[in-house]
Amino acid sequence: MLSTFTTMDLYLLSPMILLFIFSLVPVFTKVLNKNNEPSDMMSLYLPLIGIVFAFIATCGIILIKIVNGAPKLIFSGSIMVDGLAMWSVIIVLFITFFALVLIKESSFTPKHLFSEYVMLMLNAAVGMMVVAYSNDFILTFIGIEMASLCLYMLIAMSEETRLSKEAAIKYFVLGSLASAILLYGIAFIFGTTGTTQFAEITETAATLASTSRLFLVGCVLVFVGLGFKVSIFPFHFWTPDVYQGSSSPLTAFMAAGIKAVCFAALLRFFATGFLAVDRASGLVSTIQWLAVMSMMLGNIAALRQNHLKRILAYSSIAHSGYLLMGLLVVGLSTNSVLGASGTLFYLFSYAIMTIGAFGFLSLFEKSENSMVTVDHLKGLAYRRPYLALVISIFMLSLAGIPPLLGFFSKFYIFSAAMKQGLYWLVIWGVVSSVISVYFYLKPVVYMYMKQEDEALVGEFKDSASVSFTVGVSAALIVIVGLSSGPLYALIRGSVLSLF
Amino acid sequence: MLLSLITFLPVVFALMIWFSGSNEKALKQMAIAFTLIEFALSLLLFRYYDPSVATLQLVEQHTWVSQMGVSYFMGLDGISFWLVILTTFLTPITLLGSWTAVKSKTKGFLVCMLLLETSMIGTFLAMDAILFYVFFEVSLIPMYFLVGIWGGANRLYATMKFFIYTMFGSVFMLLAIIFMMFMAQSQLGFMSASLLDFYKLEIPFVAETFFSTQTLLFFAFSLAFAIKVPTFPFHTWLPDAHVQAPTPGSVILAGVMLKMGTYGFLRFVIPMFPQATEHWAWVLLALAVVGIIYGALVAMVQTDMKKLVAYSSVSHMGYVLLGLFALNTLGITGAIYQMLNHGISTGALFLLVGMVYERTHTREISNYGGLAGYAPIFSILFVIVTMSSIAVPMTNGFIGEFLILQGTFLAKKEFVFFAVTGVVLAAAYMLWMVKRVFFGKMGKVVQEFKDKNESLDINAREFAVMLPLIIMIFWMGLFPGTILKWSDTSVKHLVNNISKYELVIHKNSEANKSLYSKNDKLNIKEKIN
Repeated sequence: MLSTFTTMDLYLLSPMILLFIFSLVPVFTKVLNKNNEPSDMMSLYLPLIGIVFAFIATCGIILIKIVNGAPKLIFSGSIMVDGLAMWSVIIVLFITFFALVLIKESSFTPKHLFSEYVMLMLNAAVGMMVVAYSNDFILTFIGIEMASLCLYMLIAMSEETRLSKEAAIKYFVLGSLASAILLYGIAFIFGTTGTTQFAEITETAATLASTSRLFLVGCVLVFVGLGFKVSIFPFHFWTPDVYQGSSSPLTAFMAAGIKAVCFAALLRFFATGFLAVDRASGLVSTIQWLAVMSMMLGNIAALRQNHLKRILAYSSIAHSGYLLMGLLVVGLSTNSVLGASGTLFYLFSYAIMTIGAFGFLSLFEKSENSMVTVDHLKGLAYRRPYLALVISIFMLSLAGIPPLLGFFSKFYIFSAAMKQGLYWLVIWGVVSSVISVYFYLKPVVYMYMKQEDEALVGEFKDSASVSFTVGVSAALIVIVGLSSGPLYALIRGSVLSLF
Repeated sequence: MLLSLITFLPVVFALMIWFSGSNEKALKQMAIAFTLIEFALSLLLFRYYDPSVATLQLVEQHTWVSQMGVSYFMGLDGISFWLVILTTFLTPITLLGSWTAVKSKTKGFLVCMLLLETSMIGTFLAMDAILFYVFFEVSLIPMYFLVGIWGGANRLYATMKFFIYTMFGSVFMLLAIIFMMFMAQSQLGFMSASLLDFYKLEIPFVAETFFSTQTLLFFAFSLAFAIKVPTFPFHTWLPDAHVQAPTPGSVILAGVMLKMGTYGFLRFVIPMFPQATEHWAWVLLALAVVGIIYGALVAMVQTDMKKLVAYSSVSHMGYVLLGLFALNTLGITGAIYQMLNHGISTGALFLLVGMVYERTHTREISNYGGLAGYAPIFSILFVIVTMSSIAVPMTNGFIGEFLILQGTFLAKKEFVFFAVTGVVLAAAYMLWMVKRVFFGKMGKVVQEFKDKNESLDINAREFAVMLPLIIMIFWMGLFPGTILKWSDTSVKHLVNNISKYELVIHKNSEANKSLYSKNDKLNIKEKIN
C-alpha cells in the first residue's frame, strides 16, 4: 500500500495536515507551560495563521490541478481531490477562521480551557475536511464522527451550565443513533456492491437500484444518517435545542461547517445515480416531500419564534430543504452540472450568511440562560446604525431578496430544479421563501420601527472581532451578490469532475 | 453610459447624504438639489432619444452571469421614456412637499427616497428579465422602510402586508423568467434572459386548456403585475399601505410604483405572450372594469380623504389596464397617457391632502367644511386637481380616459358600457368630497383654526410644489401631441406587430455615438455641477 504514496499525494492533503499540526500548538504549549493557559499568540493567532496557511495550500492545489491535472484519486482511491472537495475545504476553512475569531470573546467560552477548546475546534474542522475529501463511505463515516465527537465536547464545555449540557446530551444521543443508522446503511451497500468507494458504486448503482432491494434499503439508511446531520425533516428535532444551547460562534461553525461537508458527501452519494431508475421513483417522491416539508416546516415554525437563535435554527432546517432540492436534481439527472454547482454555491453563500448572522448574535449573548429575543433589537438602528445595517443585510439576504447573495443562491438552485422539470417542488420552494420573509424581516422591524426598551437593552460590549466578522461577511454578501457570475462560473467549472 | 448614470446617480447621492453631517435643513436642501440635478440629467434624454424610430436606444449591455445568460442590459424606447421622466420629475417635488412632513430621522428618509428613485428608474430601463426582477424587488425595500418608519399608527401591519403581498406575486414571475431562460436555451441555442430574445421565442399555446405553457406563463407574469397595479381582487394591500404611508411615500407609491405593474404588462405580458393575451384578455378586462367600478363605489363611502384617494387609484389604474388590453393603438396610447396623468394628479392629491393634514392632523372628511372661504388658494388648487382626476376636458385626465374608452370601444364594446359608468362615479365621489370639505357649513376643524386666527392656507413652498404639477395638468390637457410624439412610434410598432413583436437595438446609433464625444461629456458634467 505504501508504494502508492508520493509527496504529491501528501501535498494534496496538506490543508488537513497543516490544520492538524497547528491544532496541536495550543495544547502542547499549555503542557510545556506547566498547565498555564498560553498567551493569545499561541492559542489564538497561531491557529488562525495555520488556517490561512491551509487556505493558501488549498489555493495552490486548485492551481496545480488546473495547470498539471494532478491525480484525482489518491490513497488507493479512498481520497478524491476534485473541485467539490476543494470548495468544501474552502467553506470549512472560511467558517473555522471566523468562528475562531469570534470564540475568544464569546462569554460562553471557558477561559481556563481555551487551548483545549481551540484544539477541538480545529480537529472538528479536520474531520469535516476528511468528509470533504473522502471517496469512501468508511472515511466519510470516520470524518463525520471525528467532527461530531469534537462538537459534542465543545458544546458541553460551555461556561453556561444548563442549556448547553442539555444540548450536548441531546446532540450526542441522537447523533450517535444517526451514526449507527449511517453505518448500518453502509453495511447494506457494501454487502450488495462489494465496495465502499463512491467511484466504484457509481458503476453498479443504476443496475443494482433496479434489481436489488437491499441496495435501496442501504441507500435510504445512508440518506437518513446524513439527513440527520444536516437536519432535514423529520430528523430535525435536535436542531433548535442544540443551536440554542451552544454559543453563537460554535453554532455557526456547526451549522455551516457540518452542513457543507455532509451535503458534499450527499452530493457524491447522489451523483452515483441510484435515484435515476424507475424502481427508485417512490424514493424520489419521498425525498421531494421531505424537501417540501423541511422548507415549509422550517419557515412556518420560525414564524412563531421570538428567540433569535431558534429563528435561525428553524431557518437552517428550511435551508436544508432548498439544498435537498439541488441534491435531488443531481440524483435525478445523469449530467447535472447545474444542480451540483447550484448546491455548492448555496452552501458557500449559506456559510457566509450564517457566520454573519450568528456573529452579531454573540454580541448580545451574555450570561446564563440568556435568551436573545427580537425585543433586544428594539430601536437598535438609532443607537448602532452600522450594526443595524449589516443585520438587515444578513436578514434580507437569508430571505432571498435581490440583489444580495441569498437571492442568487436560490436563483441557481431553482434554475437547476426548473431545468430538471421539478416544477411543483420549485413552487413549494418559492412559496415557502415568501413565508420566510415575515420572520426574516422581524428583526428589521424591531430595529428600525420600534421604540427602544431601556430595560432590555442593557449595556452591550463592543467587540472588534464581531465587527470584523460581520463586516467581512456583509461585504461579501453584497459584493459577491452583485457579481456572482465569476464565482458561479468557477464553481461550475470545478464540479464537472463529479460526473 | 447615460442610462446607467441616470439610474445610479441617486445611489451616489444617497451615499453622500449618508456620510454628511446631521444638519437636517442642509440635508434636505442637498437632497432637493441632487434630485433636481437628476431631473436635469434625465432631460438629456430628450436630446439623445430619437422618437422617429421604434428601436431600443441608448443601449448598454454587459455580461453579468455569463453561465446563465444574464446580462446588465439597459435600454430606452417610447414605452419607458415618459415613465423615467415622470420618476425624476416627481421625486424633487415629493421631497420639497415633505419638507415639514417628515420630522424625525431625516437622513434615513432622504437615503430611502434616493434609493427608491434608483430602483424605479432601473425597473423602467432594464431590458434583461433578471435585472428587471432585481430592480422590481429592490424597490420594495426602501418603500418598506418609508412606510414602516415614518408611517401612521398601524404602519407595521401595512408595510409587512405590502412587502409580502408584492413579493408573493413576483416570485412566480421569477419562476416564469427562469422557465423562459431555459426555453431560450432550447430554441435559440443559448441561455438568455434578455427581453429581446424572449420576444423571439415560440411559446406553445393551446386555446382550449388552461394548462398550456403560454397561458401559464401569461398568468404567472400577470399575477405579479396585477398585484403591483393593483387590480381587483389583489388591491387590498393598497389602501393599507397608502393610509399608513407618510405623504411622500404615498405620492411615490401612487405616482410611480403602481406604474411598474402596468409597465410590466406592456413590456412583458402583451408582446411576449400574444396568443394568450388575445385569448385571455377578457379576464384582465373584466378585472379592470370591476376594479373601475368597485374602486369608485368604495371611494364614495370613505370618510377618510386619503383612503378615498387611495381607492380612486384602484379605479384609475383600472382604466390603464382597460386601455392596455384593448390591444389597439388608441387604447395603449391612452393607457400610457393615463399612467402619466395618474402619476401627476393622484400624486398632487396626496400632496394636497398631506398639506392640510400637517396643519389639522385629521383627514376625516366630516371634520371639514367651508374650507374654500378660509383657505382660498389651497381650495383652488385642490379643485383644479380634482378636475384633472375626474377627466374634465382641457385637463390631462380627459385625454387619457377618452383615448382609452375610444380604443376599448373599437376593440371590446361590451366592456366600455360598464367602464364609462366609472367616469360618472369618479365625478360623484370626487365632487362630493370637494363639496363636503370645501363648501357648506364651516366644519369643526376649520372653525377651530378660525377661532385661533391661524392660517390654514398653503405657504409659498407648498405653492411651489404644486405649481409644476398644475402646469403639467394643463399642458398635457391642451397639447397632448407634444407628449405623445415621444412614445407614438414605439406604441404603433407594438400594436402593428403584436403577434410577432420584435425589438431591435438602434443600429444607426448616432445618438449613441455622440454620447461619447467630448463635447457631450462636458455637457453632462456641466449639468451635474
